[in-house]
Amino acid sequence: MIADAAAKLGIDVPVYCYHEALGPLGACRMCLVQVEKMPKLATACTTAVSEGMVVHTRGPAVDKGRKGVLEFLLINHPLDCPVCDKGGECFLQDYTFQYGPPAGRFEEPKIQKVKDGPINEFILVDQERCVLCQRCVRFMGEYVGEPQLLLEGRGVETVVTTVDHEPATSQFSGNVIDLCPVGALLSVPYHHKARPWNIEREESVCTLCPVGCTTLATGRDGHIVRIEGRPVPDRSWGWLCDRGRFGFDFAVNPSRLITSYLEGREEAAARTTRQVGQWLRDAVSQHGGNSVAFVAGGLHSTEEAYQLNRFAREVVGTERLAVSRDVPGYLPRGLNGTFADIDDADAVVLIGTDPYESVPVVHLRLRDRARALPSLKLMGVAPRSLSRETLRVDTLVTHVGQEAAVLAAALSDAARGHAVLAELVSNGLGDLSGIDGEALAELGSTLVNSEHLTVLWDGLEADVEPVLVALQSVRGDKPTRVLPTWGPSNWRGFERAGFDARIESLTGILEDARDGKLQMLVLWGADLLREYPDQELVRQAYARVPVLVAESLFPPAGHESFKAILPQAGPGEVYGTYVNMEARLQVAMPSVQPPGQARPTKTYVTAWARAMEKPFVLQEDWDPYDDNSGDLVPEESVPREVRPIAPASSAPDGYELITGVLVIENGIPSDFLKPRVPQYPGRISPSDADRLGIRNQAVIKLSREGREMTAAVAVDPAMTPGRIYMPLGLADAPVNALGTGAVNVTVIEEVHSA
Amino acid sequence: MKPEWKEWAQEAKAEFPKANSALLPLLHRIQRAEGWLAPETLSDVAELLNLPVQYVESVASFYSLYFKQPVGKKVVHVCVGLSCMLAGSDELMHRLEEKLGVSQGQTTPDGAYTLLEAECLAACDLAPVAQVNLRYKGPVPPEKADELLKEEVSS
Repeated sequence: MIADAAAKLGIDVPVYCYHEALGPLGACRMCLVQVEKMPKLATACTTAVSEGMVVHTRGPAVDKGRKGVLEFLLINHPLDCPVCDKGGECFLQDYTFQYGPPAGRFEEPKIQKVKDGPINEFILVDQERCVLCQRCVRFMGEYVGEPQLLLEGRGVETVVTTVDHEPATSQFSGNVIDLCPVGALLSVPYHHKARPWNIEREESVCTLCPVGCTTLATGRDGHIVRIEGRPVPDRSWGWLCDRGRFGFDFAVNPSRLITSYLEGREEAAARTTRQVGQWLRDAVSQHGGNSVAFVAGGLHSTEEAYQLNRFAREVVGTERLAVSRDVPGYLPRGLNGTFADIDDADAVVLIGTDPYESVPVVHLRLRDRARALPSLKLMGVAPRSLSRETLRVDTLVTHVGQEAAVLAAALSDAARGHAVLAELVSNGLGDLSGIDGEALAELGSTLVNSEHLTVLWDGLEADVEPVLVALQSVRGDKPTRVLPTWGPSNWRGFERAGFDARIESLTGILEDARDGKLQMLVLWGADLLREYPDQELVRQAYARVPVLVAESLFPPAGHESFKAILPQAGPGEVYGTYVNMEARLQVAMPSVQPPGQARPTKTYVTAWARAMEKPFVLQEDWDPYDDNSGDLVPEESVPREVRPIAPASSAPDGYELITGVLVIENGIPSDFLKPRVPQYPGRISPSDADRLGIRNQAVIKLSREGREMTAAVAVDPAMTPGRIYMPLGLADAPVNALGTGAVNVTVIEEVHSA
Repeated sequence: MKPEWKEWAQEAKAEFPKANSALLPLLHRIQRAEGWLAPETLSDVAELLNLPVQYVESVASFYSLYFKQPVGKKVVHVCVGLSCMLAGSDELMHRLEEKLGVSQGQTTPDGAYTLLEAECLAACDLAPVAQVNLRYKGPVPPEKADELLKEEVSS
């Protein structure tokens, strides 16, 4: 299209309705250009470029055309710019200034419509300001596939509204605020909060899930008041999910640590820091450096992890370093793909993960690919169906813990006789009864025969790693790229900074702590009781280790066990680099100061080095970027050896507890998002609900061998019978207290919907 | 959802190559039977034709002859186009409002009449023109408002 060609050349063509991701429409008429040999002005957004075409994007005819269009657009526009949130960053203002008539000739009264009406709890619509470009309607309907917005009425009475005037529930709804070229769709948290000249708008990165969406953070008076999507040319459209867009208020949540706790009492952070320095000094002098262990996690930047790593190794002299993990899987760097691998794929296989819930914006990317390539093979291997209205996924539903074995079986079938497969399944495949042979054959053929295979993996089954290594070996030169969907969102950055991200390191530290071999355990943003897959081990470790210290944004679970808790400076408060699930480094610039006594990592470790009287200078110029790989973490070759997987154990007779990441429930509190957090986050199939006598939702007790947890579940028709789903990491229903697998279920209380 | 709607949907679909083409005739047929289109009706139609509710609502709201509220037995449209206005449609509307005791856009409490304005009905030779249940009546000078209301028409 002419509009795209002009944009590529840096020539400004004004548009309202056109967006490259949504395709041409030609509704707003703003992009009029003059094409030689065409009798009339043409819309640049619907006219394809052709050889020898001569286009004038300015000139008397073009300017007159645009002026006329603007006069019409402004006929019923309220011109309430002085009280409009968009004032100063509005395309209607900009283009009117550039092309528009200084005054309208229309003298009749303007039509009055709804102002500040609700789209949902996050978005307001001012129907008077709307220019009916339809970007929002088309984005929700065509791009997201959740058609919750519509144009209602005809002619001058047309308005943007929601289906049945009910709140829009899509988790991608906030994008319409960015898409709106005028002041019609407004952010509730930002409503009447600031003007463009009294904000700091910094390029940042969302750290709330591993996607690492590029953002603009708006700071005002020391608080972040808005997050917007930031498009990156040729890489990202700048979409965000509502979790990332509206969840920024965690920084000012009342539960945020802004002071420190020393042995349970609130205390000035400086004094607690000095005391921790003393403990470190004592531990190292009396028990040696290796009596202290450090676990990195949470929302720390790569630089902070680097500073902690150097402090731990050089000053404390310990090798006990680990990354907080909530799933046991690990992905070798050599297999890590990028989002471009989704755009190029002819087959995508989802292992365990539902992108809509764990990495929402990747779901949009997959949908984009599925729309561009209708023949895209989209398959899943998981203990529940991963298919959705917005994205059809042929899911091979397994029993819990059988994903690796099912994948290995499919692979062995399709690439019979390959040496590496013999090694992979040398312990046998185990009991895979109940798995449909035809589906298995189709999965195998997809895995082996696709030209460009992209895999998304949730890391819940560690044995999938050797399967992926074997798969790559079988496929040879054909691309086999994997995107890990687990957190902590910057785990690859911690690895880049020198931490071992494999769960074995963390397990080793916890076992040492339990066995009394550790003097001091320092958790850097890690909340292990909530995160580590075996809560009991963490409990025992916390009980046994003499000095337990945390640095964190929020009080960690079991905070009464901690001798000291220090407040952390969060993302957007210090400069930092974050590595996303593509292994891509992205910089987040700070837009506000850390609140209260929260300090960056550097402050703490420098103070402790001084307390320990050891020379320690942090290089300011450490740079996680690499000369050869640019903004990607350096490539590594894929390991050659394949460790054999454990055979699948037989499926239990009763219920199985399954889990997965639900990003809205990832433990970082947000008052804005509260209305979206499901009250019954667990899910149960209709037939199981019937059997248990549950109609809609209930509180149930799950138990196994003396351990138990209560879970609030709702009936979900998409669930496979025999499975009960609970999201990972819920504070009041921790799946890691029980572990996945066979459970006994009893109903505590049935809850009738209101 | 009424059971016969399913049949009607099948019949409407059979006449067109694409399901969304069947939308207008199906809405008309259901409105003829029900008198108006309730929000639940629109959801039902969306389900019958396998279209998004959003699309059906958008279409139904675009056309003013789909009633989104219950209407009276007789629906009176008064043309307010230029020719009719010059010929006295303002006064006609005013008298009808007075007689019926409702404002334009409203239905009488007994459910007998709904009074609506219409943009140009393309019958300027009959100005001021009106419609009763879509049958043209005209010219209807203001003093003939009574007669207009007494017109016997099939619904």
